[in-house]
Amino acid sequence: MTSYLLRRIFGLLVVVLIVLTIAFIIVRLAPGDPAALMLGPEATPEDAVALRAQLGLDRPIFLQYLTFAANAARGDLGDSIFFNQPVLHVLAARAEPTIFLALFSLLIALVIATPIGIYAAYRRGSWLDQISISTAMLAASVPSFWTGLMFQRYFATELGWFHAAGYGGPDATFIERMSYLILPSIVLGIVNSALILRFTRTSMLDILGEDYIRTARSKGMSERRVILRHALKNAAIPIITVIGLTFALLVSGAVVTERVFNIPGMGNLVVSAVLRRDYPVIQGTLIVVATLYVVINLLTDLCYLLIDKRVRY
Amino acid sequence: MTISFSAGLGRITSALTVALMVTALALPARADTVNVAIIGEPDTFDPMMSTKDVVSIVTQHFVETLYTFDGSWSVVPLLAQSLPDISNNGKTYRIALRQGIVFHDGSAMNSADVVASLNRWLTVATRGKGVADKIDEVVATGSHSIEIRMNEAYSPLLSLLAFSNSAAAIYPEEILTGDTIDQVIGTGPYQLVDHVPDQYIQMARFDDYVSRSEPSNGAGGTRTQAPDEIRFLPVPDPNTRVEGLLSGQYHFADGLPTESYGRIDGASGADPVLLRPFGWPIFAINHKAGLLTDLNIRQALQAALPIDDMLFAAFGDENFFVVDAPLYPEGWAWRNNAGVEYYNQNDPTRAAGLLKTANYDDTPLRILTSRQYEFHFKMAEVAKVGLEAAGFAVHMDVVDWATLGQRRNDPALWDIYITHSPFLPEPALTSLYAPTSRLGWKEKEKDDILNNFTTQTDPAARRDLFAQLQQKVFEDVGFIKIGGFNALMGKSSDLDGVAPSPWPFFWNATLN
Repeated sequence: MTSYLLRRIFGLLVVVLIVLTIAFIIVRLAPGDPAALMLGPEATPEDAVALRAQLGLDRPIFLQYLTFAANAARGDLGDSIFFNQPVLHVLAARAEPTIFLALFSLLIALVIATPIGIYAAYRRGSWLDQISISTAMLAASVPSFWTGLMFQRYFATELGWFHAAGYGGPDATFIERMSYLILPSIVLGIVNSALILRFTRTSMLDILGEDYIRTARSKGMSERRVILRHALKNAAIPIITVIGLTFALLVSGAVVTERVFNIPGMGNLVVSAVLRRDYPVIQGTLIVVATLYVVINLLTDLCYLLIDKRVRY
Repeated sequence: MTISFSAGLGRITSALTVALMVTALALPARADTVNVAIIGEPDTFDPMMSTKDVVSIVTQHFVETLYTFDGSWSVVPLLAQSLPDISNNGKTYRIALRQGIVFHDGSAMNSADVVASLNRWLTVATRGKGVADKIDEVVATGSHSIEIRMNEAYSPLLSLLAFSNSAAAIYPEEILTGDTIDQVIGTGPYQLVDHVPDQYIQMARFDDYVSRSEPSNGAGGTRTQAPDEIRFLPVPDPNTRVEGLLSGQYHFADGLPTESYGRIDGASGADPVLLRPFGWPIFAINHKAGLLTDLNIRQALQAALPIDDMLFAAFGDENFFVVDAPLYPEGWAWRNNAGVEYYNQNDPTRAAGLLKTANYDDTPLRILTSRQYEFHFKMAEVAKVGLEAAGFAVHMDVVDWATLGQRRNDPALWDIYITHSPFLPEPALTSLYAPTSRLGWKEKEKDDILNNFTTQTDPAARRDLFAQLQQKVFEDVGFIKIGGFNALMGKSSDLDGVAPSPWPFFWNATLN
């Protein structure tokens, strides 16, 4: 177990190093000049050159990379060109909305997908099964920006049930800030429930055909106990895998939904950073996202230990 | 185990949802706070350092200049006591400063602050650097009086000192120690309280503000500080700005899509604000290198463009554009009809003849544009059809705005780039006419007219010279004005006291 964890942590470091290098190269290969953008339309080319020098962007690329890598090794991801703040500070400010949006969305997705997926498998071929599959296909097919816009228009603007956008003002309490996440969480929950529903149904169908399920039934066990105690527990590993992946995706930033609802999270940040060519923020976000992916995958793998005693690392 | 987990999830979610919904519906609205949705985060709070409109919109509330513009775009005093005493040769500006003005840090403004600020403006600001070679020195002549001494007369100087964009902002001398300002301190009616990037910029009324006493007129006159707070909320998505306005979350929303006009007009709690006219789309022409250094090809370009089709494609509704040749719209002192016969010719035959005269060899005409402003792209698409009909080969270089901003600085990469501008109070505030701009439009006769225009101080003579300049714009095809367009903003029905402007301000805004 210890050696497994050490191997995974070493793997994490390798992934971060690769991402760090690729991120650095890619953002600099992309055309566009943050200095020209910051100065505005009337600025002269000479103004842009001067600002590039002030920002250190005129230094040789290799030197910039060495400085970046050395600083990153010490946990310093540099300063945002646009915000004039440390990147870690900028990212930390985005953590709260993104993490809670991910948690709420996942909760909503699980509440929708798990019971329906189980029941659809149990009643395979029934009208509910057909409807759940069709609805899941629809939810997965409709772009989340469209769902977001429609929900925003009807539930926030027309009905006034929710906030249309934002994350609260300076005097907003934690609960008030969370209230801004309800509508986007519902949108993301619905979109992400489709995948979890399909995985739950498929996984349960596989298990329900197993001999030990038939044996359990022949012993007179109640259907409820057979389904929830024996079938679901054994079907859980693929379901947990897809939940882990979904959560990793959500934590790394629900780009479109955050944009539509103007939530100042990681997704919104990365879009703005790309448009502004804020190189340090783009690099920092990619490194943090890659790390989150690996850590969440590791935690998902460790969850298998709790579900299935036969799993050994 | 699994049953309880699943059921628990449901219970937690239900409880959380109900609690949050109750909270959401119960949130009180602060009646004394004006929420303004802007198109994005300002790049800086130092308006000297940027020519972006969003920077001007925000910073004009806490930073002030010596002069500003009234409702008819005439220069009026702000931190200066009155309009300057200008010497007969136009080379010396004697400016008396208002007394009792206090910066947000509590210090009193004096001539040393103004001299230091103007010297910094001449060194670091794009517009300041543009005039720096004409200014010998800025000196204090008393505790509240300064002189600007110039080596040649430059009549747009007052407009430059009044403009909130690349502004000659007045700061305390003490904060002007390096290239950048860590914390901007101004004299404006509001002071910066809190800023959470991409979330809000909170400004509160500055209690020690000393307003001018004249009646409010544009940005001039009394600044009533009506709201306790003004909050600028960066909302990059235009549709989100519309929904936020209609749902009552924002009292004012800038830069709305024209398609939303009907919805806002029909809404009960919001009204459209149409700034008519807002500005002009421009085909900026590369005079430094490439195809368009040839006058015949420039004239062929001008002859071929189907202007009205381009505008219709770009804006869709005649409520939002006008096919209009003069460089200034109706009602402006600068408007004249010199050279307008060259506008909107839509004449592919004439264009083809000019291309033949130029021995055009099918070298592609490179149009650099971006979809960040969709109307730029749509205009380019229609222009391409018209140009190809006239015999041009056209290459569209469609990039994002950051790339366009970089590429247009290299004359080897483009022949035309598409941009736009609000109508500016003084023609010399745009660099388009200047031979030193990135367009590089150098033509002796035009340069002489421009030089006379910027040194002449008599308003009537300046208007005549501008007509000559406009004639040259059309004859020599310095750049191409495509037309005029209107901007859509929106406000809550409860909000009063905000005049439509490219740089709207809220110090006189009231909420009913």
